[in-house]
Amino acid sequence: MIRFILADLNRFRLGAFFIAAIVALAVALGVAVTLQERALRLGSARAAEKFDLIVGAAGSETQLVLSSVFLQPSALPLMPGKVLSDLEADPRVAWAAPIGFGDFFGSSPIVGTTTTLVKNISAGVSEGAVFAREGEAVIGADVMLPMGATVKPMHGTLGEGGHTHTELAYTVVGRLKPTGSAWDKAILVPIKAVWDIHGLGHHHDDGDADEHDHDHAAADQNAAKPAGTEMAEHHDGHDDHDEHDHHAIDPNEAINEQWQGELPGLPAVVVKPKSIADAYKLRQQYRKDATLAVFPAEVLTKLYATLGDVKKVLSAVAGGAQLLVGAALILVIVMHIGQRRKQIGALRAFGAPREAVFGIVWLELFGLVAAGVVAGIGLGYLAARVIAARLAADSGFHMPVSFAAEDGGALALLLLAAACLCLLPAIIAYRQPPASALRG
Amino acid sequence: MIDLSIKALEVTFPGLATPALSIDEFRLAAGGKLAVTGASGSGKSTLVNILTGLERPRTGAVRWGGTDIASLSESRRDRWRGETIGLVMQDFYLFEGLSALDNILLPARLARAATAEMTERARELLRIVGLSRPEQKVETMSRGEMQRVAVARAVVRRPAVIIADEPTASLDSESGAQVADLIMTLAEREGSTLIVVSHDPALIGRFDKRIRLVGGRIAAETIEAAA
Ligand SMILES: Nc1ncnc2c1ncn2[C@@H]1O[C@H](COP(=O)(O)OP(=O)(O)OP(=O)(O)O)[C@@H](O)[C@H]1O
Ligand SMILES: [Mg+2]
Repeated sequence: MIRFILADLNRFRLGAFFIAAIVALAVALGVAVTLQERALRLGSARAAEKFDLIVGAAGSETQLVLSSVFLQPSALPLMPGKVLSDLEADPRVAWAAPIGFGDFFGSSPIVGTTTTLVKNISAGVSEGAVFAREGEAVIGADVMLPMGATVKPMHGTLGEGGHTHTELAYTVVGRLKPTGSAWDKAILVPIKAVWDIHGLGHHHDDGDADEHDHDHAAADQNAAKPAGTEMAEHHDGHDDHDEHDHHAIDPNEAINEQWQGELPGLPAVVVKPKSIADAYKLRQQYRKDATLAVFPAEVLTKLYATLGDVKKVLSAVAGGAQLLVGAALILVIVMHIGQRRKQIGALRAFGAPREAVFGIVWLELFGLVAAGVVAGIGLGYLAARVIAARLAADSGFHMPVSFAAEDGGALALLLLAAACLCLLPAIIAYRQPPASALRG
Repeated sequence: MIDLSIKALEVTFPGLATPALSIDEFRLAAGGKLAVTGASGSGKSTLVNILTGLERPRTGAVRWGGTDIASLSESRRDRWRGETIGLVMQDFYLFEGLSALDNILLPARLARAATAEMTERARELLRIVGLSRPEQKVETMSRGEMQRVAVARAVVRRPAVIIADEPTASLDSESGAQVADLIMTLAEREGSTLIVVSHDPALIGRFDKRIRLVGGRIAAETIEAAA
């Protein structure tokens, strides 16, 4: 029987191939949608898991999470620096760390923060060490730079017409272990350096508010200089832009994370509360006035609720495609059976039982469809992997594409449906009277 | 070896004024040999379909060795046919992509009746019908060779009855004679009852019992003394 089926498939190999291929494509569509949606969910949940609570200036919750967890460039409003010192002093807080954005090196965001955050966000360095001086940088696992490389920060990205800072260039001193998040593409530097470059947070005797136009208007990523922020005092810089009278920053100055004096405005502070109860209390406390506190996990859940509808639509499209393919195939196959009535009649005339005819038709079809389903699963998985890999290359955000136990149930259901559909042509072949088939 | 008895058989088709086949009484002894002739449309193939159980007679009885095949269910008739009847048709109905040997064994295999001994017999039959390459794919064979494979297929399960519907009609006279020879010899050797429908005078001439159908009725029955 198997040999006959194989010979038959071989005779109609082109048609057989197309049937399997069409089934495979329809299945791949559904598989890719399912896998991609799950990967996005798992990946972002994983990326958010290091960030228990984020405090920022009042504004969009989603934007705060996207900018801090996924390092998506955007103009976050600033909140007073005092929020950071208050949080650090709060007994309910295990640790708190500022994050400051705005600069880029190539496509890598340069994120100013503290060693506390660096140590908590990843499992340590894979080479080198964490920054200890103002001119040092530690890079995420996916940043393609060697140790000792020089990083000249650019305000905004090139594409946005940013300009290069000349006040300070960082030296890469370490590389973090992979975190699977967007932070793998980031270059982490002392927050102090970011402030200094942007002329923030200096309290010098001659604070004459010498209005320094940093020329950021076009590329201002983080609204880095809200009105009222104390401006830097400018020493005579080495650079030739006379109107850019930068003060020199000493790259070798050891960083001090015990803040002194008034801190400049900040876009976000990552907070690790001591307990869940503390987390809720802190969130409530900082959801007032000018600040906003969010649990990233919660914000993401809300986002998924929206995304869930999109997934439903996509799944319905994929399901519809599968249904159409199934119906079209059954039609083609029933027509094919009709064309082969004589052959089927002959099998019985020469002594094959009708049950064997039924078995052949069903097995041959189901084999084809099952092969298509299996190929489709592989294809869908591959597609999801490719999409995830491209996303990871672009953003550093890793999405774990994987099958879950529930997929087994879905697969079984799909195969069952295929098995049932294949029954129809098999029954037609089974019931076909052999005598009239042989005639004419 | 079983005998045939037909009683009050009438086969009608919708849209046909007269029955396609109408036989009051007919007998063929076990091991007997019968040639059926008649003009086109006279009901010869209809008779073959009835005798092989491919079509169930609605009126009358067709008994092979005491079994009324009209009383068998469709599935039982399939099994009975596989075991009892060896069929050769004008079109060979060989299955492309399979070798000569596999074609001979295919129905037996599908009925789960194939044995190692039967495979041996299939090889021997291939030698007897004059084919030396059992693994040759049937689509590469000449028509005469194909019909010889079909003859081997018909007899491989040692059927009690061999029925052939115009076995030589689509062959040239030489391969036709060869195939006719084979059918006669093999039926003789196995002692099978043999019924052959044919227009071929060379083939018909070799039978001493002949019937001629006209409009579905037996118009003439000839029994010659054994030569
Ligand atoms: N299923 C059917 N429906 C209607 N009429 C049929 C059917 N089967 C056979 N007939 C008719 O029955 C008659 C006998 O047909 P049959 O095929 O038995 O003739 P035949 O003697 O084998 O002819 P030939 O020598 O051309 O093969 C014909 O008139 C044919 O049209
Ligand atoms: Mg005929």
